[in-house]
Amino acid sequence: MAVTTPEALRTQTAAVLDKVGFLRRFLRARIWHGAEWYITVLGGAILVTVAGVTVLAPVLAPHDPNEFIGAQFTVPGGGRQALLARNGEVPIAGDADLAGVVIGVQRNRNGANLAKRLGAEGVRFEDQQALVGGLKAGEVDLILIDESVGQELAAADSQLELVATGLGLRFVLGTDNLGRDITSRLIWGARTVLGVALSSALLASSFGIPLGLLSGFVAGRLDKVLSLTMDSIYSFPGFLLAIAMATMLGPGVINVAIAISVIYIPTFFRVVRGQVLSIKEQLYVEAARSLGARATDILIRYIFPNVIPSVVVVFSLNIADAILTEAGLSFIGLGLPPDVPDWGYDLSKGHQFLIAGYWWMITFPGVLISLVAAGFSLLGEGLSEMLNPRLSET
Amino acid sequence: MSPVTPGELLLQVCNLNVSYKTRTGPVSAVSDVSLDIYRGEILGLVGESGCGKSTLGRALMRMLPRSARIEGQILFHGREVLGFDDRQLRELRGRGISMIFQDPMTSLNPVQRIGDHLTEAVQVHESDGGKADLRQRIGTLVERLGIMRQRLSDYPHQLSGGMRQRVMIGLGVVLSPDLIIADEATTSLDVIVAAKLLDQLREIREEFGVTIILITHNIAQVAELADRVAVMYAGRIAEVGSVYDVFDGPQHPYTQGLLRSVPSIKLEDREELYKMPGEPPNLLSPPAGCRFHPRCPEAMSICSRIAPGLLPTMPGRLVNCWLYQEHSEKDGPAARTTARGAA
Repeated sequence: MAVTTPEALRTQTAAVLDKVGFLRRFLRARIWHGAEWYITVLGGAILVTVAGVTVLAPVLAPHDPNEFIGAQFTVPGGGRQALLARNGEVPIAGDADLAGVVIGVQRNRNGANLAKRLGAEGVRFEDQQALVGGLKAGEVDLILIDESVGQELAAADSQLELVATGLGLRFVLGTDNLGRDITSRLIWGARTVLGVALSSALLASSFGIPLGLLSGFVAGRLDKVLSLTMDSIYSFPGFLLAIAMATMLGPGVINVAIAISVIYIPTFFRVVRGQVLSIKEQLYVEAARSLGARATDILIRYIFPNVIPSVVVVFSLNIADAILTEAGLSFIGLGLPPDVPDWGYDLSKGHQFLIAGYWWMITFPGVLISLVAAGFSLLGEGLSEMLNPRLSET
Repeated sequence: MSPVTPGELLLQVCNLNVSYKTRTGPVSAVSDVSLDIYRGEILGLVGESGCGKSTLGRALMRMLPRSARIEGQILFHGREVLGFDDRQLRELRGRGISMIFQDPMTSLNPVQRIGDHLTEAVQVHESDGGKADLRQRIGTLVERLGIMRQRLSDYPHQLSGGMRQRVMIGLGVVLSPDLIIADEATTSLDVIVAAKLLDQLREIREEFGVTIILITHNIAQVAELADRVAVMYAGRIAEVGSVYDVFDGPQHPYTQGLLRSVPSIKLEDREELYKMPGEPPNLLSPPAGCRFHPRCPEAMSICSRIAPGLLPTMPGRLVNCWLYQEHSEKDGPAARTTARGAA
């Protein structure tokens, strides 16, 4: 009989698993849960990482995401400065305080920012050629220049001597068009994105699930009215509806969450209602009634727990979708206010400057959006495979 | 096991009609049924699929879908069940009458432990009472039913079909109701498990003194277990009597046909089984008169015009057939229909 087979299999696997190490056990888990196991674990791992980053944002982020801390369009990994002088004419000792010293810098580059921060007297030059020329001509005795460029120049030109390297800040993922650190923006943006996606999914489920339960359980006219309403929302293109809602509500984290949640209420509603309709015909519900259980008890203790597995799956998939919708809203400028770091906003800015060759502004937020959305999708799909009783029976 | 000891009346059904509202019109699933059930007996309720036996069983607890209309009288301990409000109804269900369902695989909540099923059933009716006390009581009950106490913390899917059915019985008796309705309780079990279960039902009856209505289409089980039997056909009761009387000398032509359709395991009489001619009627438009007359080998002209009553033919025996009843029109054009029936 079908009842004994999975049990036999389970004891068998348990016996096998006792003899193997953790890694083998992890790989063996396929026997319990099928190949979906890995998908789910992968999705879960992505999410745990992102969630960790979200929580630890103040610790992890190197800079304030809104501060114009570096020069515009610093390349990924750039930002560090080198100090150059004419060969043999180094005016200061290696560990001297640079405050008050006259240093040549290039306009709008990280060297200018650094000189200002150090309290040095910066003499600005129009471009790199003028800067190096100025040093050679004796206009200034020291110049600040991008580290890699400085090293190359010192190696190639015997007139120049490298005084110090590794000065100033380094921007791992570069800076954006306003000189803001992209790493910090992404780390803080994770908080925004996850917050908006989670709260919109929570909001959608806290309306969709009770309405679905009620509609399926009570049936009759209430069910007809609710189903019709939900179906008309559902038939509307989701993103269009989100745009309309966001326009109506205006910018703001809560408003965006509300705008997004509206499109997902029908998803929860339909799944829950369908489940309730089939579960309430189950014999165990009837058995509960035959024992004199109250209608509310039946709904809460018999029907609701059996709906949860499908809700969990929908929830996870909806978060993935909400992330994309949120990014989409921000991309077209209907999302969050500009002072809230947000991947969608970075994406739209990056899009503007991509044509000028600043590829890093659009790439990193884009990769992250895809990764997190994929993480939730993988988790949701994996869970739905694992929680589906029809598949797990075999 | 004594034949028909009309003891104390527990439940009295008078002229009960149940019809379901459907798009094509009302379906009369139970029509004009009257039945007395005595305390402590086991009554077998048999009939073909769709003859209304389950509907009748559910009507007794008012467990019918909203589309059903119930008319008539159901007196439980002399109180009118059809007049009960929600609170009284909840009190009746579980405490007064409980039901054991057909399919043990699906009649337990998959996300609830076995013990919680039982505890909850009790707590619905008795909000007070100590937890430890209750656990003790439930532990004793399941051990009495042959389930180890430790299994109380198991989920339904961890139990075998027979064990689940025993849990269902436990749910049926945990509130010590006066009447248990076993609705096809053994249908999905194999014969060995079913036999054990029937034995258990009998023990329960003897121990707790409950009354049991055994709804089934398995005639052999009724013969084995029941004291009295009621045969239903197309929403009406055809014949009621003690099992011995009815199975030894069936009086209604339907009962006769039904008993001849039961397969036997005796190898010497491997004769062809009796196949009843025709089909059960469509209850959207049941035949006029006696509902069995289109299939009846002994139909008379009156049968198609006037319905017979369920009247006694001998002590403790009621038959719903014109063969045993008098009517002024009965012998009129009898020859014509008999001829048609024979043709």
